[in-house]
Amino acid sequence: MSVTIAILSVCMLISAVSVVAARSPIVSALALVGNLITVAAFYAAMNAHFLAAVQILVYAGAIVVLVLFVLMLLNVKGEAGKKSDFILRVGAAIIAGFFLLTVVPIWDGWLGLSNLSAPEGTVRAIGKLVYTDYVYCFEVASILILIAVVGAVTLGRRARIPNIASE
Amino acid sequence: MELLILGVKVFVLFNIIMGLSSFCTWFERKGSALIQNRIGANRAGAYFTTSIAPLRPAFFVVRWLGILGVINTLLCDAVKALLKEDFVPEGTSTVMHALGPLLAVLPVFVAFAAIPMAPAFTIGGVTILPQVAPIDSGLLFILAMGSLAVYGVAMAGWTGNNKFSLLGGLRAAAQMVSYELAMGLCFVTAVVIFQTLDPYQMVRQQAGSIFNWGIFSQPLGFFILFIVGMAETKRGPFDLPESESELVAGYFTEYSGMKFLIFWLGEFAEIGLFSLLLAILFFGGWEIPFITLPEGLWWAALVGHGVLMGKVIALSMLQIIIRWTLPRFRFDQLMSLGWKVLLPLSMVNLMITAAVRLVIAQG
Repeated sequence: MSVTIAILSVCMLISAVSVVAARSPIVSALALVGNLITVAAFYAAMNAHFLAAVQILVYAGAIVVLVLFVLMLLNVKGEAGKKSDFILRVGAAIIAGFFLLTVVPIWDGWLGLSNLSAPEGTVRAIGKLVYTDYVYCFEVASILILIAVVGAVTLGRRARIPNIASE
Repeated sequence: MELLILGVKVFVLFNIIMGLSSFCTWFERKGSALIQNRIGANRAGAYFTTSIAPLRPAFFVVRWLGILGVINTLLCDAVKALLKEDFVPEGTSTVMHALGPLLAVLPVFVAFAAIPMAPAFTIGGVTILPQVAPIDSGLLFILAMGSLAVYGVAMAGWTGNNKFSLLGGLRAAAQMVSYELAMGLCFVTAVVIFQTLDPYQMVRQQAGSIFNWGIFSQPLGFFILFIVGMAETKRGPFDLPESESELVAGYFTEYSGMKFLIFWLGEFAEIGLFSLLLAILFFGGWEIPFITLPEGLWWAALVGHGVLMGKVIALSMLQIIIRWTLPRFRFDQLMSLGWKVLLPLSMVNLMITAAVRLVIAQG
């Protein structure tokens, strides 16, 4: 078990570093896919099979595909040789520092989070929880997604209206 | 011991995948010849004769394999591809170029791991489940792996470093992402019917009468999933990503030799995967209607596997025949079929199925 976690951690760190360090944006996006898959493997190693499958399906299988799609369509190769700005590096360091600040208490168990036991990862157990105890949260989340969908459709239409008017 | 069993399972599964892909390759070549009134691949080995009497039966078999095109399509083509120059276009890295076919094949092969190939059996006191990864949410795993197959074709299109390849790759990515939605909804409908995500349990519930088969409770679901399967494998009337009259060969224009064949291997393995899914969800998997095989015997598992493979081969042949029969769609027709016809249809199908299921559960 710990060997699996160790191997996965190494893969995860390598892929995470190469997301930031890669010169080509396409390599960066592919490294992000690799990173998401290793996170999914982490979930699977913790017996959260449903979460692992959804992680791959939603993030690796849908969102990053669209990112890659746009990168390929625009063919952003010219950026490859550019060096990043100093201010961006400072910003990245500050954000990473804040992230570390949130991780350390969890790691050391200051917040008591380390005592939490993971509930059963099966689809049946998660489905029961989502549709009974957390039904309001679930509905709020679905309304948020609906708002995002309506927003996307509206933004997509707005680009087309002037064209129709000009014809 | 457990590791050994797992190794044997993986080995057998790999051979099943390769066997299915080989069959599809052969039928693609020979079946298309029959459909187009050609004689087809029948030359290699067709004149394999001998005057030595004891060797005649073996030569007879080889000769007929040659006349049926098996040697031509499976042996000669593979050897030819291995000997060809491995071409990498200028301006792309060799690693990224090789990543394309790898990423196109790997997720498909991994997805097979969650599919049970036969009923469980006991041999020497050990119960063996003929499924490499018995995952609780197996169907979701297959869907997740299917969604990863987009990367291979997208990468292939991009590393081709020309506009035709890129257009082919983008078309393939758009097509696969669009049709995945209807596929997911079809899976959800099947889950509503069978109340489980485990393919093994789904097959078990279709035992007994032929009317337990999923196709009788889900005729529309089968219809949608079949069309989606043909679109996801980028074949049949949906082969726009590689339409040779517009894009040379689409995303694999710049691939030669074995890398080119690996794309085809992935495509044929995908046909096998979809046929397996259709057989398991709608045609009772390894169950024979009105006949109950004895539980846990090795020969029963073997018979079950044979039945499953028979169904899979029939479905694969149907897909290949449709591919060689229908003309190609236009890309806007493809998109409107996916988003405006199949997606709403599968949503309606899901709602009706869920309502009927609720009524049955209540009363």
